[in-house]
Amino acid sequence: MIELKGINFTYKNAKNNSLNNIDLEIKKGEFVLISGASGSGKTSITRVINKLIPYYYEGELEGTAKINNDLVSSYQMFELSEIVGSVFQNPRTQFFNVDTNSEIVFGLENQGIPRDILKKRLKETCETLDINKLQNRNIFHLSGGEKQKIAFASVYAMNPDIYLLDEPSSNLDIPTIEVLKRHLSVLKNSGKTVIISEHRIYYLMDLVDKVIYMKNGQIQKSYSKEDFLNLSEDEIKAMALRCRKKTKLNIEMSNNEKHPYLQVSDFSIYRKDNCIINNMNFSANKGDIVAVIGSNGVGKTTFLRTLCGLHDDYKGDVLLNSKKTNAKKRRQKTYMVMQDVNYQLFAESVFAECKLGIENASDALIEEILNEFDLSDYKNNHPNTLSGGQKQRLAIAVGLICNKEIFVLDEPTSGLDYTNMVKTVELLKRYSKDKIIFIATHDTEFANLICNRVLDLENRWKGEL
Amino acid sequence: MKKESNAPFNPCTKIVLLFLCIIISSLLSSIELELIFVFIIALFCIINKKTKFALKGFLIYLVVYFVSILTVQYGSNTLRSLLMPFLGLVHKVYPVCMFSMLILSTTKVGEFLSAMGYAGVSKKITIPLAVMLRYIPTVREDWRYIKDSMYLRGISPSFFGFIKNPALTIECIYSPMIIMASKAADELTIASITRGIESPKKRTSIIEIRFDFHDVFALIAGVLITVLVIYRRFFL
Repeated sequence: MIELKGINFTYKNAKNNSLNNIDLEIKKGEFVLISGASGSGKTSITRVINKLIPYYYEGELEGTAKINNDLVSSYQMFELSEIVGSVFQNPRTQFFNVDTNSEIVFGLENQGIPRDILKKRLKETCETLDINKLQNRNIFHLSGGEKQKIAFASVYAMNPDIYLLDEPSSNLDIPTIEVLKRHLSVLKNSGKTVIISEHRIYYLMDLVDKVIYMKNGQIQKSYSKEDFLNLSEDEIKAMALRCRKKTKLNIEMSNNEKHPYLQVSDFSIYRKDNCIINNMNFSANKGDIVAVIGSNGVGKTTFLRTLCGLHDDYKGDVLLNSKKTNAKKRRQKTYMVMQDVNYQLFAESVFAECKLGIENASDALIEEILNEFDLSDYKNNHPNTLSGGQKQRLAIAVGLICNKEIFVLDEPTSGLDYTNMVKTVELLKRYSKDKIIFIATHDTEFANLICNRVLDLENRWKGEL
Repeated sequence: MKKESNAPFNPCTKIVLLFLCIIISSLLSSIELELIFVFIIALFCIINKKTKFALKGFLIYLVVYFVSILTVQYGSNTLRSLLMPFLGLVHKVYPVCMFSMLILSTTKVGEFLSAMGYAGVSKKITIPLAVMLRYIPTVREDWRYIKDSMYLRGISPSFFGFIKNPALTIECIYSPMIIMASKAADELTIASITRGIESPKKRTSIIEIRFDFHDVFALIAGVLITVLVIYRRFFL
């Protein structure tokens, strides 16, 4: 079905090869997982198959790529789109429409399919994927998980033979990952070919036929399902891959609340007249690392924004050191690393970034922290030239230089591979002594490694799990 | 018209009306006439079920109108020479801006693409326009995040903050905006080409796009007003 032979690819203006002598054969109906660290070439392989390389991403491409025995280059982009369906990582801008119905049938509309069939396909898609509730909605009002379901549905409606998915789980909570898994098994059962590049791999273990492990742009090894499952934990760690099993939240709760530094009492948060959080009470001390959990769309981000003084519509009190605070006061005491750190990088160099808007940031402290974060080699580079993991470390470093008492991270692991995840954990732990850290996350593996308390927004504050 | 709540007018009608709107506002000779014209646009907004937008747009214009009149009548020479060029520009641009905003908020991207397809406009023109149409609402979202991140750095994104430190404020808005815009443009383009937007087949649409009586009526009204304005300007 798919045949890649001797593929080499270098992105335009890049120094190194992104793909190195790739040979890969995928049979019809196979379910293939492409694993490996960030920057190992996982995404580039999918781009060769859907022709985004070289059609959209220019560069030097060698070797032959064939689909159904025809060269990929012999297909027009729109012809290929009827055979290969692609679901991307960031659900925010993979939509071309603003309403869900038009989005689901967008590909079919482009194929010129008559309206009565469009309506029929829309109905079928929504029923098979169980997303009737999402019909006729404004895309901007959907949660991340709901957006991902629509993105999947819009490809499913076109009914391609090959599905390419690039880190589809990175913004999803655990129940939504289960939904994604169910959707993928629908594909597998109907004999579709599925190729999925992913960091969080546990939910795919029942479905895969083949696992490809990539490193530095090369296919290091190709495993059958059995071989991959038989690898030892140590081997998986050495490959820097995430857990193959679903991890349960397992956090030892420390409790030293005699004189809590942060107290939140009778806290209710509203958004457009809707009560998101009702009458919450909890307290935390310096040194605590609190996991903020709850499903997609429950209001984790709004909760964090309120805590940081960025959202005003709330009732109740937030006490710091036994003193009541208002939003403005809290803005001075808190720092947040956003889900998309691109919004918080402003300056023309990494070093300037660390000084921007921060009073009394000494050069020595900046040098020290940049060194700790492996960023000192890049201190004169523009922040936008850094990789995703580096950008995130920079945003965290800036927060530490600000030296605020409350440090908030909104889904820091979306799109982080194992190595980057462990690095982030170590750095945060090292600086957590005189801070309270809140981390909104869906990633139990990450939370288990770092957090000592849990704040569950759906079941209220639980002392223990 | 009663059934389809969101899109009573054909996108082509709206675009033709926009062109007429540009012609009219460039030819209007007095601000009293401009006021009437903005009032007509506000009425059109109400027909499109954007009552709140219509009221807001008309009231803001009313304020500009009275400020202009007061400046002309009572303002000193310096004040007049300071304000008049600016106000003149506002008067010329305001109706077109108001009308464009109405089009942006009432036209769905898919509907726009299909209507342009039916009208025989080349995809080379319509696809970039559609990407733009789709990009504008993301700016509002981006702005929210950027505001947050400025607050977190202790930089005020307000007008006062801008006066206090214009260079810093501009830097903080400008760089993430540009980076997010180029990212969004990339992702939107990819999302559309991998779903066959470039297909040469005639595009269909799940939303029924009709060319109805009210389209004809709106076009006739638009043309009549334009003719009237041209006649007044050149033949009276």
